Amino acid sequence: MKTLPAPLRFFSIAALALLGFFLPRLLGGSSHAYDTFGMIATFSAMSYGLDIILSDLGEISLAHSAFFATGAYAAAILSVHYGQGAWVALAGAVLAALALALVLGMITLRTREFAFSLVTYAAAVVCMNIAANWDFLGGSDGIVGIPPLTLSLGSASFTASQPRQFWPFAYVLLLLTLYVVHRFRRSRLGQAALMVHMNPRLASMCGLAGNRVRLLVFLVSAPISALAGWLYAFQRAYVGTDLFDTYFLVLMLTGVILAGRRLLLGPLLGTALLVGQKSFFSLGAYGDKLILGTVLVGILCFCPKGLANLWRRRSHAAVEK
Amino acid sequence: MAAPRLAHAATPIGIGVIIPLSGGAGRQGQDVANAVQCMATLINDAGGVLGRRLELLIRDDESTPAIGVAKANELASAGVAVVLEGWNSPVTLAMQPILARADVLDITMISKADPILASAANPLAIRLNSANAQDAKVIADYLKSRMNAGRLVFVTENDAYGNGAQHGIEEETKRLGLSYDIVKTLKFPFPQTDFRVEVTSIHDAKPDAVIVIDANEGAGLPAFLQQYVQARIDAPLICTVGTVSPSVIETAGAAANGLISADIYFPETEPFASNRENQRFVAQMQKQFKTMPDKYMALGAAALQVWAKAAAKVGSLDRKAVAEAIRGQDIPGTIFGDVRFSADGQMAHHYAIFTVRAGKIVVAG
Repeated sequence: MKTLPAPLRFFSIAALALLGFFLPRLLGGSSHAYDTFGMIATFSAMSYGLDIILSDLGEISLAHSAFFATGAYAAAILSVHYGQGAWVALAGAVLAALALALVLGMITLRTREFAFSLVTYAAAVVCMNIAANWDFLGGSDGIVGIPPLTLSLGSASFTASQPRQFWPFAYVLLLLTLYVVHRFRRSRLGQAALMVHMNPRLASMCGLAGNRVRLLVFLVSAPISALAGWLYAFQRAYVGTDLFDTYFLVLMLTGVILAGRRLLLGPLLGTALLVGQKSFFSLGAYGDKLILGTVLVGILCFCPKGLANLWRRRSHAAVEK
Repeated sequence: MAAPRLAHAATPIGIGVIIPLSGGAGRQGQDVANAVQCMATLINDAGGVLGRRLELLIRDDESTPAIGVAKANELASAGVAVVLEGWNSPVTLAMQPILARADVLDITMISKADPILASAANPLAIRLNSANAQDAKVIADYLKSRMNAGRLVFVTENDAYGNGAQHGIEEETKRLGLSYDIVKTLKFPFPQTDFRVEVTSIHDAKPDAVIVIDANEGAGLPAFLQQYVQARIDAPLICTVGTVSPSVIETAGAAANGLISADIYFPETEPFASNRENQRFVAQMQKQFKTMPDKYMALGAAALQVWAKAAAKVGSLDRKAVAEAIRGQDIPGTIFGDVRFSADGQMAHHYAIFTVRAGKIVVAG
C-alpha cells in the first residue's frame, strides 16, 4: 500500500482535523449537536486509556472507570474545596491517576487475563465504595458547584460553561490523546508492550522485563482516562459515585471493541457510533440496549476483529478480483 | 371560548419532562409522565399559558446521571421554557447545573436529597416532593408514639437520597430525646432486588422495628417486602415517607400487608377528596389513562400546574421571574390545595401515617 509523502500527509491530517472541528456546525450547529460531539470527544479520550491496555497489553482492565472518576473527583475537589484553577486541577487529576495506577499496577503485576480483569474490577468497586462513604469525596451526595472551566494561556483566558464553548476544549483533548496514543505505539515502550503481549518468551529473551513494561503501560494509560474525567467534571459541574458505574465502563469497552483493536481511530469511531446513535437516532432505552447487545454479539461472533475488519476484508476481496 | 382558540393558534410552549421511563423506576416514571400530560391537557383546554398551548417533550433519563445530563442539554437546546425532572437524586444533582447554566427553569418533582435545594449550582431551585428533613420528623414522631427505646435496624439505599433520609431520622430521634440502639445499618445499591443476605442479618439482629429506605419502587422495594415476609421476621416494618405507592402494593401482593409508612397525598381522603382541582385531575386521569393517581403522579401534575400559575401571574416565561413567583410564595388552587413554598423553593406538606390492610392503604385517623 502506497503512503503519501510526508508534507502531503501532514496537510491531509491537518485538513481532516480542521473538518472535524467544524462538524457540529456542519450538522446544524445546535447546542445539542455541540453537546453530542463534545461527549464523543470526551468519552473517546476516556476510551483511549483502556484501548492501550486492551490492544497493546492484551488485558481487559475493568478499573479504567476508576481512573476516569479519579480525574473528575480531583478536578472537583481542587476547584470546589480549594478554589484552585483548571490548570492545577488538571495537574491534580494526572497525579491522582498516576498514584492510583501505581498502586493498582503493583497489585496486578503478576495477574493475567481473567485474574487481571477480576482484580481491576474489584479495585473499581473498592474505589466506588470509598467515594460513596468518605465525606472528603462528597460521600453519596457527590460534589456540587464545580465552576465553569477557565484556562489561561499567557494573557489569554478561555472560559466554557455551555456545550458550544466546551467543544474546542474537548476537541483539543481528543487530538492530543490521538497524538499521544500514536506516539506511544511507535515508542520503544509501545513496541515492548506489544512484544510482551504477543510473545512473552521472546520478550524475555530480548531482555525485556515484562512486569516493568506492564507497569509503565498502566502508568501511561491511566492519565489519559483521568484527563477525560477532568474535562467531564467541568462539563457536568457535578461529580458523584455514578462515575464509577458500569455505564462508563461498558461505553469504554464497547467503544474499543466495536471498530477494532489497535486502530488509531478505533475508539473514536466506536464511541461516535454509540453516542451518536443514542443522541440522534435513539429508539428509547430498551431499543438502544437491544441494538447495542445485538451489534456486540454480532461483532464478537462474526467479526471479532471489529467493524473495521469488514472494510479490510472487502478491500482485500476487491484486490484479489 | 376565545382563550382556548387563541391557545391553539399561537406557537406552543415547550415543556421538558425528564424522568426514568425504563428500568426499575420505569413504570412509576411513565405514570408521572402521563400525569404531567393529563395536567397539560387540562391547562390547554382552559386556554393554555399566556394564550399558548403547552407541548411536552418527554425524555428518559434511564436513572443514569450521564444520560440525564445529555437529555437536559438536548431539551435546553430545544428551547423549552421549563424542565420538570427528577426521580433519582443523583440524576437531579447532575442535571441541575446544566439547566441553570442554560438559563432554563428546573422544577424537581420527586428527588429528595438535601443538596438539591442547597446547591449553589442552582440558586433558583424548586421542589415539590417533601424534603428528607420533613419526612424524618414524621417517622421520628411515629416511632415516639410507639416506643421510647428499643433496637432499630436501618436498610438504606446507599446514595444521596437514602443516606440523607437515614441521617435525618437519626437526628430527629436524637432531638426528641429517644434512646434507640441502631443495631445494624444495611446499605444496598439502588438496583438491588436480592435482599436475602440483608433479611437474614435483620433476623439475627432481633430488632424492635425495621426502617427501610428504598426508592426503587418498581422492583427493589416489592422484592424486599416479599423476602422480609418469607423470613418470618416479627418486627414492624416502617417504610420511609413516600416510598410505598399503590404499584408497590400491587407488585408485592400480600407481602405489603402490615407495613407502616406516611405520605402527603391520598386522592380519596380529605382534604384532597373535596378539593375541586384534585377532583378535576382525578377525573381527567381516569378519563385519559384509566387510572387513579398516586402521590408521584400528583406531584408531577402539580409541578406543571404550579409553573403555569406562576408564569400566568408574572405574564412571562422568564426563568428568574417565574422562579421568584414560586419561591417564598403561596400558590392557590392546586391539586394539593393552597400551597406554600419556602424561600429555598421547598413546597410544604401535610402528612398522614398509613398502613396496608388486605392490599389497601388505610390512613390512620
